[in-house]
Amino acid sequence: MKEPNVWRDVMNGLKTWARVNSPWVLHFNSGSCNGCDIEILATLTPRYDMERMGVKLQASPRHADVLLCTGPVTRQARERLIRIYEQMNEPKFVVAVGSCGISGGVFQGCYNVMGGIDQVIPVNAYIAGCPPRPEAIIDGVVKLLASLMPAQRDARLPQVEQEKAAIQ
Amino acid sequence: MENKITSESFTIPMGPQHPALKEPGHFQFTVDGEIVTRAYVRLGYAHRGIEKAAESRNWVQDLYLLERVCGICSHIHSFAYCLAVEQLAHVEAPPRAQAIRVLVAELERIHSHFLWMGVSAHEAGFDTLFMYSWRDRETVMDILEGLTGNRVNYSANILGGVKFDVDDVQAASIRKGLDFLEERTNHYLQVLGKDAMFLQRTRGIGVMTRAQAEVLGAVGPTARASNVMRDMRVTAPYSAYRQFSIRMMLDSRGDLEARFQVRVQELLESIRLIRQILDNLPQGELSVHLPRRIPAGEAAVRLEAPRGEVFYYIKSNGTDKPERLKVRTPTICNLNSVIRLAVGHQLADVPMILAGIDPCFSCNDRMVTLADERDGSERLMTWSELRQHGIDFYKQAAK
Amino acid sequence: MNNEEILTLAEQIVKSWDWKTEVSRSQPNQLDVNILNLEQFVPIVVGLRVKRLGYLSAIVGLDLGREANQLEVLYYFCEQSSMIVLHLRIPRQNARIPSLCEVIPSAEVFERELREMFGIEITGLKTIEYLYLPEDWPDGVFPMRKDADLTMVTAQTGKV
Repeated sequence: MKEPNVWRDVMNGLKTWARVNSPWVLHFNSGSCNGCDIEILATLTPRYDMERMGVKLQASPRHADVLLCTGPVTRQARERLIRIYEQMNEPKFVVAVGSCGISGGVFQGCYNVMGGIDQVIPVNAYIAGCPPRPEAIIDGVVKLLASLMPAQRDARLPQVEQEKAAIQ
Repeated sequence: MENKITSESFTIPMGPQHPALKEPGHFQFTVDGEIVTRAYVRLGYAHRGIEKAAESRNWVQDLYLLERVCGICSHIHSFAYCLAVEQLAHVEAPPRAQAIRVLVAELERIHSHFLWMGVSAHEAGFDTLFMYSWRDRETVMDILEGLTGNRVNYSANILGGVKFDVDDVQAASIRKGLDFLEERTNHYLQVLGKDAMFLQRTRGIGVMTRAQAEVLGAVGPTARASNVMRDMRVTAPYSAYRQFSIRMMLDSRGDLEARFQVRVQELLESIRLIRQILDNLPQGELSVHLPRRIPAGEAAVRLEAPRGEVFYYIKSNGTDKPERLKVRTPTICNLNSVIRLAVGHQLADVPMILAGIDPCFSCNDRMVTLADERDGSERLMTWSELRQHGIDFYKQAAK
Repeated sequence: MNNEEILTLAEQIVKSWDWKTEVSRSQPNQLDVNILNLEQFVPIVVGLRVKRLGYLSAIVGLDLGREANQLEVLYYFCEQSSMIVLHLRIPRQNARIPSLCEVIPSAEVFERELREMFGIEITGLKTIEYLYLPEDWPDGVFPMRKDADLTMVTAQTGKV
């Protein structure tokens, strides 16, 4: 039972509002064919324009709230993916974009491939498609953010602690 | 009782050094001050073992596997695969199917060149051009989606032909889209020829002479910008390029500006060819039947992808699965050239030199290791930091 | 020169001197040259290069199988639409071929791929690092060989 603390609750509310309304997104390619990546980049371009919704693509893991990850995770990319995940600050969310990110896609069973992003790090949302349309990607990210509203977020905190312990 | 807030404390971001990251960078440059003295690239981040996987899938499954070698040039891969398998089966796709295959290939070239234009502009810091060219690219994506059902990974081919037809209504909408694209391409041609900041970053930079291009094995627009006459569609026409001929675009200067010019000229030529195909689409069937087991033998085909020559070798042992399948993509040929070119150039020019070959690997996450010759130190940078370095360098130079 | 002239000239070159080769035309526009003496491989390539016959488009490795106990390497030299294909057959154990890098610098990336995928030692190839395979790839496992044991590699998942 948390002790009531007005200051902490206000700060939490503010942070959540900032994250939900203006998430900073890091995009990582773990060995995909680039199909999903160009659709993610297309969401920045004038027709879809994710930035007008406050979603900003960031280059550094330390600034990011959401990790948009594509690809079936090759052996080389695995180390880097784990590093990036560890460098992100709590609370952080991982979105697996595309069939390869979900299960390895057509590359299931290939020798250099881990077989999906959730084989390496915990994933919060899956966006299916080969590749998913930009609208689908935006929709997936928006749905994830909607689930960040305070009630759901506080309920997630114990799970976050669990996942952190599993990584160590 | 634990205070859960501590797990959310924000850490101060550190600079370019990432002491926790011990893996090697994608790129390693040894520098003496600002000049690159040695360059090395580490591939393998997108190595998925496709050639091996192809041996345990049947001929039809492999079609879907090979489309996904590269999301940007997926059609040309499935086109090459189909041509090689049809050659093994001693079968030729009907003329209408071949014309439609070439139509989609040229549309893919247009989308790829617009994509590349935006990405290179982004590397130079011209985000406005990036946004404009990608907005224009949406037109060709719409055309492709209307024709094939998907924006990327069109899956237009089947073994023996194509899946869909082009009717008059679609042809009319394609023409309308092409008119718009042609107008925009002419605009970019003007911009690229006149903008001072852009020319400063491309004119006279990354020069590759004709002899160097031949020795280093460059292919595609990178080679044609150095006056090397390598274009599969012209020198070794395949499929419907035998009926619908295309002109090779060459440039003798060999610098980055030449590479831009060649690609933009190719856009105009592709638009012209598509119109010609639409006006003269042969009548007939869309596909021909292929047996489930392909006769034993070997076949090698070479096609012109947007980035250059793509080579496919297929060996069949008479069963329903390939014995051996080899894919040699154009970027591996051009990468060699760019690594050698970087030596002697300023570090600030490296992002543009790489963009000039239109590399077909992941565009965002590339770590760069910089080794300084003078003091022996090493540090890691992200690609975006390297890009920013180039942009800032030229901003200073312009003052 | 048209295709026929290119292939005829190439045929003359590979049959000249005392070079031990078997020549055939399996397909139109293609000349297949079976090189029987490994030591003559690089001189033959120099002979083709001096006449500017084709550029090296690809190097293809093949595993001919346990029974044949051989590997085969194909070198595709392409000029316009004609292809000159050099075939080298080598034993599976202690497979070794000379490098072309002194003659054709762009062969380096192809040879690196050949070496790591098939386990063929390429004498004269300077770069030792893997091209595509990751650093932690187990020694002695050559993925493209028919008898490659990939169970250890595919069985691992990456979960932390």
